[in-house]
Amino acid sequence: MEEKYLICEDSIEGVFTGIYDAYALREEHAHLHIQIGEEENYRLFAQYMNIIPDAVKIRKVVETICKRLGDETYLSICRALASADSGKGEAVYKTVVNGLTQGGGRRVMENLVNPYVGQVFRLARNTSNETNHFMEFLRFKESQDGILFAKIGAKCNVIPFLMPHFSDRLPLENFIIYDDKHNLYGVHPAGKAWYIVSDMEKQVEAMFEISEKEEQYQELFTMFCQTIAIKERANLKLQQQMLPLRFREYMVEFVEK
Amino acid sequence: MEFRISEKISIMDKLNILADAAKYDVSCSSSGSSRNGDGKGMGNTVAAGLCHSFAADGRCISLLKILFTNECIFDCKYCMNRRSNDVPRASFTPDEVCELTMEFYRRNYIEGLFLSSGILHSPDYTMELICQTLYKLRTVYNFQGYIHVKAIPGADPMLIQKAGFLADRMSVNLELPTAESLKQLAPNKNRKNILKPMRQIQNGINANREELVLYNHSPRFCEAGQSTQMIIGATPESDYQIMAVAESLYNKFSLKRVYYSAFVNVNEDKELPALPGGPPLLREHRLYQADWLLRFYDFTVDELLTSDRPNFNMMIDPKADWAVRHLDQFPIEINRADYKLLLRIPGIGVKSARRIVRARRFANLTFDDLKKIGVVLKRALYFITCSGKMMYPTKIEENYIVRHLTYQKERLPFAADGMWYEQMSLFS
Repeated sequence: MEEKYLICEDSIEGVFTGIYDAYALREEHAHLHIQIGEEENYRLFAQYMNIIPDAVKIRKVVETICKRLGDETYLSICRALASADSGKGEAVYKTVVNGLTQGGGRRVMENLVNPYVGQVFRLARNTSNETNHFMEFLRFKESQDGILFAKIGAKCNVIPFLMPHFSDRLPLENFIIYDDKHNLYGVHPAGKAWYIVSDMEKQVEAMFEISEKEEQYQELFTMFCQTIAIKERANLKLQQQMLPLRFREYMVEFVEK
Repeated sequence: MEFRISEKISIMDKLNILADAAKYDVSCSSSGSSRNGDGKGMGNTVAAGLCHSFAADGRCISLLKILFTNECIFDCKYCMNRRSNDVPRASFTPDEVCELTMEFYRRNYIEGLFLSSGILHSPDYTMELICQTLYKLRTVYNFQGYIHVKAIPGADPMLIQKAGFLADRMSVNLELPTAESLKQLAPNKNRKNILKPMRQIQNGINANREELVLYNHSPRFCEAGQSTQMIIGATPESDYQIMAVAESLYNKFSLKRVYYSAFVNVNEDKELPALPGGPPLLREHRLYQADWLLRFYDFTVDELLTSDRPNFNMMIDPKADWAVRHLDQFPIEINRADYKLLLRIPGIGVKSARRIVRARRFANLTFDDLKKIGVVLKRALYFITCSGKMMYPTKIEENYIVRHLTYQKERLPFAADGMWYEQMSLFS
């Protein structure tokens, strides 16, 4: 039988529409594949279909996943789709199939022996580890009007997972988290709900002037980090293992002045 | 009352002095408390804790770890801040501590505050200052993040109670494993004074738990439990004695954590051992490994050590060491063994054991699956079978396994002299 490839855009919406359309074809799932972005090497005996995100289809897929596979599975799937891997669409699609029709059900994420479930598990773990890292290593700086601004460079799309954490933590602050790899801004106005802005033309960072106190606190913290180390126990390798270099360019205590 | 708090010292110098004085306290975890913000202040806590940075010694920086003051009326031989040392002294004011905490927290530098102190004037006086600071931080500054506070031994129980309602975690340092050592090195402290507040905090936590059953909104008392620390290598106790003390602290005082601190000789006191090889970091590492076995792997101290073998094997970790001495219990069949037995296999941790138990409901696991699940096969392969087969033909024999476990040019991480430990063979 001919293989069919559903080409979706790289977003949760794109993949969920793809899953809906794959089911709507009513063919064997083994011959249907979800692919994210354009194919570079087209195959000869395969059919390609472009999928356009559709709000109604997305809602139906979300409802079905939450109802039949559980909220935990839904969260894992969202995390997996936020990762940077190009095979994530196919892995999620086949995991949903396993959950709905091959007996996985609410326990589908425990079936790590299944290659697709295993992949979703690992991708979700990547996103969740990176989210955790940025909860720890992200640094805010204060502008002259008291707005907090943080810049991160994330492999996975972590902003949607970071915002609830920081909104709960800093409810009375105006803050912005900017992901320069995905060009996304997470914005939290004091006392209100957060939202995401994409493709902002103007560079927020360029307009940003730090407050006078800001410099003092950066110095205080840098000094604190140096003082708290016990020189008899120096172990730079362990430090690097715990705090990889890629995070350090955004952290005040490691940026050379 | 005369204050020696000098106003001339800048906040930069104060933080420098008082962070430097606090750095030998090991505990820096921000775990054990899970609480959302109420939307009116600043802060929340995350159950697993967050480490915001790592210092050059590889230890995490999670909390703003400072002393309130490094003035001290005590003269403990191992301590940098002892009365007889001539070091620069400084004290914070409660407002300075609050402002530093809030501004650091806002910028996501820290997860909360760790406040300890030297003894200024008297234990009561010091504890009172600490309580004032915490009260201000919680009620005036509306801080809802993590607070770890030291209970000062000898302070009024009322003050300790008060601090417990303001903090997430409290700790009293045991300092040294036995009463004799304590007497020798910390002449102003005694075991009774240390265990008393520890017991009080334990009782406070238990009573609070019962209150919470009745009244959901009653104030929380030390939600994240209590911890303590012992100095390792300053006195001649064996690992067996140390672990036995730790075990009884876990069992009888329901401690959350016991920390082990490799002794760093800062004072060159004649009562203290000279440590030419640097602090005993590998020994400390082995003690932590064993501590994990007690808390998460269902081991008891008597399984790991005996009075004939009172110290840990420096070559291999305590779990592997236990396994090679109990080869009659291996190999273990992955697809059938129960969870507790899986935990005993070197190379399998809590997470992978849980994943195994869940995943094998769907299919028989193979070695390939185990690798994907996260099992460290190069350690586990000597001890397991999958569907009755071992991964490679190996001998189940102590020397053979030890040789292979240590052969992989596995550098033991903490040799201060840059050397690494390796099993001796005939040819070396």
